[in-house]
Amino acid sequence: MNDTLINDSIKIINTIIARKVEKGESINWWMWIAVVQFLIIIYLIIKDRLNSKNTEKLRFKNESLAKDIDFDNIINSSFNSTKLYDELKVKCHPDRFPIDDEKNIIADKIFQEITKNKTNIKRLIELKEEAQKKLDLNF
Amino acid sequence: MLNNTWNNIIEWFRDRSERAKLIRSFNESAKTSFVSGIAPTLLKASISKGESTYKHQFSNWLYSGFRIQAFTGRILKKEELIHIGNVILQNDTLVRKLIVLGWDTLEVHGDAGTYGCRWQLKDYIPLPKN
Repeated sequence: MNDTLINDSIKIINTIIARKVEKGESINWWMWIAVVQFLIIIYLIIKDRLNSKNTEKLRFKNESLAKDIDFDNIINSSFNSTKLYDELKVKCHPDRFPIDDEKNIIADKIFQEITKNKTNIKRLIELKEEAQKKLDLNF
Repeated sequence: MLNNTWNNIIEWFRDRSERAKLIRSFNESAKTSFVSGIAPTLLKASISKGESTYKHQFSNWLYSGFRIQAFTGRILKKEELIHIGNVILQNDTLVRKLIVLGWDTLEVHGDAGTYGCRWQLKDYIPLPKN
């Protein structure tokens, strides 16, 4: 009696195990959940890294695009700035004001600005006017 | 992910439009200056192939050269071509704009053949790290 009961139980258990292995439900589910979690983590890490890089690039780009360019000044400077620069660098040179200390300091400041802006005719014209007023020069 | 791709597409079109706008503005100013006698030579900006070794992180895949060509009028000497290049390179705002819009090479050419000068734009402005 007991033997048949044990045999029947073993048979039933074997059948259940065989069915589960055949379907493979429990093993596959857990594996797929782990894979998806892993992929989500990888995606979030990559996204985070890309975002930090892009933000810096994007800020640089937006800052650069926000400013306007004076093309008229660029074209004008391309052809006419050299002549004006040559004239200004001679007339505003600090060595031309050796006695007057105040004028010498002003000339030095203007001369430095002239050198810095030698390819910007708009600024050179402004400096010319400044030199005329402050250094009493005639052009 | 989709949002990112969509933003990239919009940005690509915006860049195209900005590039065209910049070239159009340059050419209009050059034309006005030539007609009014401020410039002795008519300059014309266009997009060229560029130099592949000058690439940076904002570079376009193709056509990354900003070419300025001297057309009608007096033929320019080499020093004058270099001076035009220097005027552009010393304008930080313009160089920054050229770089972010995908240009990496500045070319200043005479009217005939390939006579001209070429500069690497990334040498003239500090760029954000890659």
